[in-house]
Amino acid sequence: MSANRWLATGNYFTTYQEEQRIFFTAIDRLLFAFFLAALFLWPFFVELDSKYMLVIDNILVAVIAVLGLNMVTGFAGLISVGHAAFVGVGAYTVACCARIIGDQHVLITHAWPLMILVSGFMGAIFGLVVGLPALRLKHLYLVMATLSFQMIFEWTIGFMDFFNQGQTIYVGRVVWFTGEVGRNEHYLFWYYALLTVVVICGFAVRNLLRTRYGRCLVAVRDNDRAADAMGMHPGFTKVYAFGLAGFLAGIAGSMHAYLYRGVGMESFTLHESIQYLAMTIVGGLGALTGSFFGPAAIKILDLQVESLAEWALNYLPSTMNLATALRPLSFGLVIVLFLMFEPRGIANWWRILRSYVKLWPFRY
Amino acid sequence: MKTNKISIWLIVSLVAFMLAIPASSGAKVYKLGLSLAITGPTSDAGNPYAKGVEDYFRYVNDNKLLGQDTIDCTIRDDKYETSITKRNFEEYLDMGIVFYLNYSTGSTLGLKRDFEEVKMPTIPASFHAGNLEDSNYIFLPIASYSAQAIGLAEYVVNNHEGKKPKVALFVHPSAFGRGPVDDVKKSVAAGLNMEIVEVVEHGQDLDNTAMLQRFKSKGVQYVISQTVQSPVAVMLNDASRLGLVAKTFGEKGKFTFLGCHYTGGNDLIALAGDAAENFYWTTSYIITSEPGVGRDAQLALAKRYGRDDKAANSHNYANGVMVAQVAAETIKRAKARGVEITKESLYEELLAMNGINAFYPVTTVGPVTFSKDDQQGVDTLQLYVVEDGNFKSEGTPFIPEYTGKIK
Repeated sequence: MSANRWLATGNYFTTYQEEQRIFFTAIDRLLFAFFLAALFLWPFFVELDSKYMLVIDNILVAVIAVLGLNMVTGFAGLISVGHAAFVGVGAYTVACCARIIGDQHVLITHAWPLMILVSGFMGAIFGLVVGLPALRLKHLYLVMATLSFQMIFEWTIGFMDFFNQGQTIYVGRVVWFTGEVGRNEHYLFWYYALLTVVVICGFAVRNLLRTRYGRCLVAVRDNDRAADAMGMHPGFTKVYAFGLAGFLAGIAGSMHAYLYRGVGMESFTLHESIQYLAMTIVGGLGALTGSFFGPAAIKILDLQVESLAEWALNYLPSTMNLATALRPLSFGLVIVLFLMFEPRGIANWWRILRSYVKLWPFRY
Repeated sequence: MKTNKISIWLIVSLVAFMLAIPASSGAKVYKLGLSLAITGPTSDAGNPYAKGVEDYFRYVNDNKLLGQDTIDCTIRDDKYETSITKRNFEEYLDMGIVFYLNYSTGSTLGLKRDFEEVKMPTIPASFHAGNLEDSNYIFLPIASYSAQAIGLAEYVVNNHEGKKPKVALFVHPSAFGRGPVDDVKKSVAAGLNMEIVEVVEHGQDLDNTAMLQRFKSKGVQYVISQTVQSPVAVMLNDASRLGLVAKTFGEKGKFTFLGCHYTGGNDLIALAGDAAENFYWTTSYIITSEPGVGRDAQLALAKRYGRDDKAANSHNYANGVMVAQVAAETIKRAKARGVEITKESLYEELLAMNGINAFYPVTTVGPVTFSKDDQQGVDTLQLYVVEDGNFKSEGTPFIPEYTGKIK
């Protein structure tokens, strides 16, 4: 450790334990505490419209889902293009319960934290099952396996009466200590619920990566044969990576269901899976901070392109419907540009910025 | 001198008072919201629809149809995604809208509970009968898809020559498409003398040869579609290529194609070309290929606001104009009653729109009637058929008989 516990201009690790610290300096810890406090306190000082609260809540849902995808794709190196289906498993767990026992049942409205956990475990079970092909498949072939899960999920939901053929299944309003969470406080309530879950999941993932199991993920990603030779179990590691990703996706899905007070198929399509993948790439594959930056960047980009498309509609000829193309075009362009010029994603910018601040006023 | 001063002060005070009157009884602005797909899937329908709504409200404001008061309708693109529609709706609520216009079946079903919760009178562009289940605040502008499909089925039964007609249903793989299937089946069970041979949920097929050959082998003579134009155009083109399009209604060994509101219109003719000949289509809207007051009004409105021919002649432009007409008329009536314009008063006004209070917009083939038990606006339908590249009326407006029998 550096001589000054508040500031460090370089790495002075003398033990492996030091290298695994979550906060390297006291100022890191303090700044994080302030940031966290700010995240919890700002709604007391700034009143946002429901529209923007919904956008923020949506970003937080995506953060939880992308934490899972980053685990399997970023840290374990297993590309999954069926992540939205795992999110869907979580959402439909709540929806199915609502359909069977009624959406106003006490389990749905009062025991919602339990429902969220159950959805997470359901996602984990599906993740473990879908992860089984990872024992035998790699690269593009594994992509196809996850894609087929996405297709099977969409078909099952879209055609089975039990799932209302993909149309909305309603979920009742939840009850908190203060009573039923009404329309006026709905988005704020879920902001706090989501933020709490994001913080817990963020720390859980960060801690996992410090453990033997977390380091196994990275080792298997870098070279599974070498990892095998070192005594790790690549097959088990790959399957549990899918299981963990499924768990986080399931939690994200159930919170999505509660946030929208209903579950419909269109939030869990292949397009959404690609979008989660894009969030992971743009944020930074294999970087924990990337799981936060990616969803925020893509969702905000989406909003901006929406406004641009609306504006462009007034000037572009309607026969060509060019405004429709703006969204996929900008989306694809961002992914390509990041892959070409910044494959380590926004997380790398964050790393560079931190290094710069660490050494300031000296040159890097 | 003193008297003069007093007179001047009196005049100044009077002028100030006169000036203050209009300020205190100032013009009101009624906020409305419309969320629809201007870009993305189904934007070919959403685009003219949005123009219709926008133009009619501009017309209302420009011509002072509400006196000094004006309508401010915010139109947002939702890209056919329920999550964006929800966001738009929340924004509209924050803006304090008194009337809401929605678009797709999915988002209408998805937001149904929100409409109930905030008691917001809502008119969607979706005519799905399921929108009305457990709902008090959704009002369909015209007869439901179910009524349309049943109307087409009745036309088949009434005009078919020979034994029981064999019919296939070609539907969109969603609630929008599936909605009428059960109701048509119920009508058959209730005595509508026809056989439903197959119900096909189309995918994004670019070739329907196999399906059409299968229909042929099963003796299907009529295909009733409930979807959007492009899959119907693909099917018509394939049938034409195979020489399977009936030249006259019910021609043996060939298919007679029929479709509900969103399957037809000029876009279908543009997509299918000659293959669209003899396509039977039903809707409650007037069309611009037939002379009439409605056509003249629609074209004049589109011309006034500089719309191109495609938009001006679209039945979805008429669709947009009509819902705007209903919204404006509701406000007008509430104003005439002297009540404050709120979502509650507009809801009450909509429920009173029946009997002698029925509303007659020139853009539809029948009057708009709403009540507590009737949340479908125009109950009458008109059948159109493509002749020489244009839709022509076939018979007079009708109300499907079996819609009442299967209730």
